[in-house]
Amino acid sequence: MSILDEIAQGVIEGEATKVADLTKKALDTGVPPLDIINNGLVLGMGKVGEMFKTGEMFLPEVIFSGDALYAGVGLVKPLLTDGSMPSKGTAVIGTIKGDLHDIGKNLVGMMLESSGFTVVNLGADVSPESFVQAAKDNNADIIGCSAMLTTTMILMPDVIKLLESEGLRNKVKVMIGGAPLSPEYAAKIGADSYAPDSTTAVEVANELV
Amino acid sequence: MIPKYNILSTEQVQKVHEHSMKILEEIGVEMSCESALEIFKTHGLKVEGHRVYFQREFVEAQVKKAPAEFTLHARSPEHNLLCGGDSIILVPGYGAPFIHNVDGKRRNAAMADFNNFVKLAGASKNLHMTGGTIVEPGDVPHATRHLEMAYSAIKNSGKCFMGSASGRERAQDCIGIASIIFGGKEVIKAKPALISLINSVTPLKYDDRMLGALMAYAEAGQAVVIASMVMAGSTGPATMAGALALQNAEVLAGITLAQTINPGTPVVYGTTSVITDMQSGNLSIGNPECALFVTASAQLARYYGVPCRGGGTLTDSKIADAQAGYESMMVLMAAGLAGMNFVLHSAGILQYFLAMSYEKFIVDDEIAGMVLRYLRGIEFTEDDFAFDVIAKVGPGGHFLTQKHTRKNHIKELRLPQLSDRQSYDSWAKEHFDINKRAHQKWQEVLASYETPTLDSSVDKAVREYIDNRTAVLLS
Repeated sequence: MSILDEIAQGVIEGEATKVADLTKKALDTGVPPLDIINNGLVLGMGKVGEMFKTGEMFLPEVIFSGDALYAGVGLVKPLLTDGSMPSKGTAVIGTIKGDLHDIGKNLVGMMLESSGFTVVNLGADVSPESFVQAAKDNNADIIGCSAMLTTTMILMPDVIKLLESEGLRNKVKVMIGGAPLSPEYAAKIGADSYAPDSTTAVEVANELV
Repeated sequence: MIPKYNILSTEQVQKVHEHSMKILEEIGVEMSCESALEIFKTHGLKVEGHRVYFQREFVEAQVKKAPAEFTLHARSPEHNLLCGGDSIILVPGYGAPFIHNVDGKRRNAAMADFNNFVKLAGASKNLHMTGGTIVEPGDVPHATRHLEMAYSAIKNSGKCFMGSASGRERAQDCIGIASIIFGGKEVIKAKPALISLINSVTPLKYDDRMLGALMAYAEAGQAVVIASMVMAGSTGPATMAGALALQNAEVLAGITLAQTINPGTPVVYGTTSVITDMQSGNLSIGNPECALFVTASAQLARYYGVPCRGGGTLTDSKIADAQAGYESMMVLMAAGLAGMNFVLHSAGILQYFLAMSYEKFIVDDEIAGMVLRYLRGIEFTEDDFAFDVIAKVGPGGHFLTQKHTRKNHIKELRLPQLSDRQSYDSWAKEHFDINKRAHQKWQEVLASYETPTLDSSVDKAVREYIDNRTAVLLS
């Protein structure tokens, strides 16, 4: 098994320490950083995604794999010149104001990161103004807005209105998710997309960028 | 009533208690509402930022102040309900934003649906209350939903209903409306009319909205269910003992707050603890683990000497099918056997609390009837043994023509309202499965429902209150 295969395997097994050690070893032996990312770390995570989808892997294992992926990426990233770190796009995510439920949203963040997005996670109880400001600051491609409560989802249209008034609506796509939401609600408030779960969120984000 | 079923030993209950106390003392609970923090500071608890560290002696002393049982007062006094002891109160589903139609298609719930469900609950022989946010009426502005829901509950049924838990202001509106019906705030303070559903945000948090409502109801002497929903595996440990200890800590923190504000506030120990589906991250509510949470939680509530809430006709299914039936029966049966006193979500719920279904509502009403019959147990009078009748019929005879049979079968042998017991040939004429029969049945029930009269002066006063508040809230 090549060292890149071993790294990929380490990601699949969710062994962060092992992946970090192997990544260091690969760097020391002169494997090009981008090769480590694309043919080791990301390759492994891709397999994880497939196995999660087919029910061979469960959520907690996927999260460990995500951690392992980042244990490797963290070591390689500083060695890459600016802009050469592959990213599908930047997503600013958060749970809307008044709502403290953010576990599902964090899962979405992790899955997006694992699939190659740059994620800025604003946490919970995020005002529409903060969403839009963070999108500006980070030159975001996507805003991902989450709500668990019927009493808080009603603030989501404000994010979109604010993007419009700031002249950013054409640049930033908006995807929404959370238990009380639906594709119909997304359409009604003028969001670009809705995702019912973290796996679909990745598919949706891939389509949006 | 049959004896209550316990699954935990006394030592196990004690162990859960000890772990919960350790959680409360060493980890603490975050409360986002300043006035709640002030109350705890005043009582000498350590508060750091928003985190409250509870001393066990304080918690134990406050929880002891909660009544073991209380009466909820209904607009129609024949529907007054005892909450606690051997009583069981079955209440329809709560909070779903969607309706699943008979064909499984999903749509947003509307006020017309809310009114219909109040009537279906009003007509039910098995459901004791009409409930709270039976569905979220998406076509009513958010700011005034609580007012219209309260009005519908009052107008369309005489049974007890629930107050809004969406913050202090909405709670105060519900208290205002109840005061009009019952003759003033002092009257309902002595004779509580409202019960509302206060939820923690697991793990170990309470938000502003829920704390505001909790405090308003406690001040007004109205009842509160204080519930924790641990999703084992995601918002709590995957191990059930740990999840129980976490749930217990959260509920005790809420009960402690209610009793600190107003000693003797009627509270109900609530559990909605469920599991996480590890393939999707979704919650899953119709399963044996939930049934175990329900049973263990009823025992914990008894340990603390307060009424308990949990269970329901819970399912993850999207339509009134076999999965909906078997999952719902399992969890409601567990609640009944455990001696749950207040069972929210006893009719209509589909897809882990996200949807209501008319068909499921009718199916669940049947399940509720079956469970209630079971709980009534077997009567043991001499007449029930029917020795003389057995002697009279003798070997090889039959009992169909005996007066004793005619007199007793109605009370002993529950007739189904929905289940099919026909012969094959009779059934084959229409070929109706349960979903289709339920679809027909709810329409019949609605068509024949007679709304109980509401005194016109009370109606006018309530409507005035609501219209005035609506004008303020929508301005």
